[in-house]
Amino acid sequence: MRELNSMIPLVKNETIKMIKKKRFYVILLVLLVLVPIFAYAQLRAAEEKRSKFGADWRREVQQAITDNQNSLGSDRVPEEWKKYRQIYIQQMKYYLEHDVNPRQPGAVAFTKEFLDNAATLFIPLLIMGIGSDIVSSERTSGTIKMLLTRPMRRWKVLLSKLITLLMFVSLIVVSTFIVCYLVSGLFFGYKGFNLPVFTGFKLQGADVDITGVHAVPQWKYILMQMGLIWFVSSVVAMLAFMVSVLVRSTAASIVIMMAALIAGNILTNLASSWTSAKYLFMVNLGLTQYLAGTPAPIEGMTLGFSLAVLAVWGLASLFVSFLVFTKQDILN
Amino acid sequence: MSKNNSTSRIWRMTGVLSLLSTLLLIAGFSFAVKDVIFPQAAQINGIPDQNKTGLPEEAPGSLPSDSKELSVTAIGDSLAKGTGDDSGKGIARRTVELLKEQGAESKLVNNLGINGLTTEGLKHLLDEKGVQYSLRQADLIVLSIGGNDLFDGAQNLQSGRQLPSEQELEQSVTQASEQFAAAIAKLIEINPQAQLVYVGLYNPFSDLPMMREIGDGAVARWNNIVTDILSDYEKVVMVPTFDLFAQNSAKYLASDHFHPNGTGYQIIAERILQSAY
Amino acid sequence: MSPVDKAVEERERERPQQTTSDGSEGIVLRVERLRKKIGRKWIVQDVTFQVRAGEVFGFLGPNGAGKTTTIRMLVDLIRPTGGSVTICGYDVRRQPEQALAYVGSIVENPEVYPYLTGWENLQHFARMMPGIKEQRIAEVVDVVGLDQRIHDKVKTYSLGMRQRLGIAQALLGRPKLLILDEPTNGLDPKGIKELRLFIRRLAEEGLAVFVSSHLLSEIQLLCDRVAIISRGRVLAVGAVEELISENSNYVVWELSPRDQGMKLLELEGITIIPQADTVLDDTIIAGMGEEAVVTQMLPENVRHIIPHLVAKGIHIHGVQKINPTLEQLFLELTEGEGIE
Repeated sequence: MRELNSMIPLVKNETIKMIKKKRFYVILLVLLVLVPIFAYAQLRAAEEKRSKFGADWRREVQQAITDNQNSLGSDRVPEEWKKYRQIYIQQMKYYLEHDVNPRQPGAVAFTKEFLDNAATLFIPLLIMGIGSDIVSSERTSGTIKMLLTRPMRRWKVLLSKLITLLMFVSLIVVSTFIVCYLVSGLFFGYKGFNLPVFTGFKLQGADVDITGVHAVPQWKYILMQMGLIWFVSSVVAMLAFMVSVLVRSTAASIVIMMAALIAGNILTNLASSWTSAKYLFMVNLGLTQYLAGTPAPIEGMTLGFSLAVLAVWGLASLFVSFLVFTKQDILN
Repeated sequence: MSKNNSTSRIWRMTGVLSLLSTLLLIAGFSFAVKDVIFPQAAQINGIPDQNKTGLPEEAPGSLPSDSKELSVTAIGDSLAKGTGDDSGKGIARRTVELLKEQGAESKLVNNLGINGLTTEGLKHLLDEKGVQYSLRQADLIVLSIGGNDLFDGAQNLQSGRQLPSEQELEQSVTQASEQFAAAIAKLIEINPQAQLVYVGLYNPFSDLPMMREIGDGAVARWNNIVTDILSDYEKVVMVPTFDLFAQNSAKYLASDHFHPNGTGYQIIAERILQSAY
Repeated sequence: MSPVDKAVEERERERPQQTTSDGSEGIVLRVERLRKKIGRKWIVQDVTFQVRAGEVFGFLGPNGAGKTTTIRMLVDLIRPTGGSVTICGYDVRRQPEQALAYVGSIVENPEVYPYLTGWENLQHFARMMPGIKEQRIAEVVDVVGLDQRIHDKVKTYSLGMRQRLGIAQALLGRPKLLILDEPTNGLDPKGIKELRLFIRRLAEEGLAVFVSSHLLSEIQLLCDRVAIISRGRVLAVGAVEELISENSNYVVWELSPRDQGMKLLELEGITIIPQADTVLDDTIIAGMGEEAVVTQMLPENVRHIIPHLVAKGIHIHGVQKINPTLEQLFLELTEGEGIE
């Protein structure tokens, strides 16, 4: 209890600094600028489809199925893509079978889509924006000396920073949802929380096992997405945290994290046959794809596997952070 | 002190909000893990409110009737899809355009042509709800099927490796026509009101000397059987194409020597219009 | 019992007896054989000294002598390779929470958060120490005289104001030891004078103040005792006056006729330094007349010499006692090794 009592003022300090540094506002601003752009693009795409299919989503979905089926026959399409398309076809058929619109327009659906796309790069980038300099900025400015000459154990100082970072991770994930929903509602209307989404597609090679498929309302689906994104973001935050402890310069630590994240995205897209890559944290960031039933980038990856890989990376980086920070000489 | 209050407020707000967010996200996370790792058995019926909004069965007729538009759906093989047409329009879209030129409001519902589809494949396709739905939306259904049953895909023939023998073709025709009859029955059951146009087969190999004769024979037999089957139904017509390509194969065939080119599709579309309306 | 009370009580209990039999009463900071090796290089070797309550202790040495490294070891920023730092009886390495509670420090520049106001900065640091109330913040603001601007963002502060804010944060926890690293850096002469007076006042109130500097004059003006460090080693520790008077003093004579006077001085057994600029500061030389004669002698002998000079009809225009410079002190302590 005494330990906790001495922690709270430290966390309070870090929170106030984070807010006063206006980092969080910048992130909100980024969201406020980018979300309308994405929403507008989506709106245009939806309008174009409507001009072709009217308001009839079933025809649209059926056409998508047919188009994908046609591409399956083509030799020019790589096998890997064919697998994706086959799975897509089966899922779309399932939606038609149960007469559920997989792409019901609306702010909720847009948010769902956005979260799926933002999970591996966009949100981690935002997290990095606050995580990469949480320790290194104190070193760059020299205030680290002020912090560490207090009658406080170093691990407490570091822990307070970690707690603050994780608090802001939660805030960023939830804010992304709120901003996304509120802004896209202007374009698509605010309805759709109770529309069903199918989840539970199990992939076996190119085949989809639909025995476990069930409907969840969109609000719950989004909640689950956010939960998974939160986990990913926390791990990214811990990694950024470690880099921030190890690297003195804020710029360098941002570059390192960015490079790692983008490398992950590239690796994922390469759909590599290099199977050991699945132990890298960067290719495991797409947790929401397990929810949607899209195939994992590398054979043999499951939600449990990805969670374990991410947890190991996260814990390892915490271990390194605390070990280094408590032992290190502050020379500058 | 006002300054003092501002930091306290920041802390209280941020602290409470982040705590709530974290709890919410942890809940979401556990839902997600539970859901993905132990998916509950399908409970599709658990969403009754959704099923009410619009079962596909309720849809037919409703759409075509409330608009005076003539809706066209194409289904079948690569000919239905429009493979070989450089403009990508195919029979269906060309038919819609011709209708529009004649002053009839018209639109393409769906082009459900799939390259390489056989009569057998068509039968399965007709079981799909989305396909059924699209067909029910249509006033005019353009069907092209059978070519792949007879000629077993384009590749083998073009490479000249496995030319089907006369007997094999005979057998294919017989088998395929049975499947065809079943498919037609299904199709008509799905949408009895629509005008169905079947695009008859042509011999794509009239320019290959060794295939010309046996091909012609098989196609003719097929067309005869099909005419026979179709004659049982009312709103069904067959549009012949055999004659078109027998004489003018160079003019109407695409560079793959198998599918029609744009001009070929246009002629077929014109014939559809003549025979259906 | 509230957690704070409990913490205070425990602290009291844990605290070792201060009055020990070895006569170390009043010793706030005890540094023993402190060593630090970075890479293969010894930055600090066997540094030993004590600082007592109520004194201003100078830590004098040229840049790069190991002053900053030593200071960082005092406040647990750098882990010593060997030796110990004890503050009010607590070992800094083993009980940093207890030891550092008695220390206020500014290591190098007073680095604070520019995006916070002065007050918010002080609140920030106050939260990191047990039992510091708002009232105490107001007190230290008052002590350093920042009350006018305390609610402005620190980025609008001048260097002098930041320095004061730094001192304010150092005083927040009612420390027994104040550590200031080159505190006059970047201050204007008026600011330096104010700071000096301020530090003296703090010492009079019973605080032990540890001040590092590379300027002898500053140490002479400010400190009671001094440790002189060069190349990571302490060359001497002692009262400032002792250290300076123990070593040779200079007396500058202005005599006419000059040659006769010099001869007489030599006869009295006094060393005459022909090239004054090798031992004296340029500023002092500039203040001397052309005819000045620089000698090395005990100042108390001046009154014995004067009658002899007068008897020989030599006019004395001026006699001046001059303290040696840091450079000179070093020359003597290191026997000519020099500073660099």
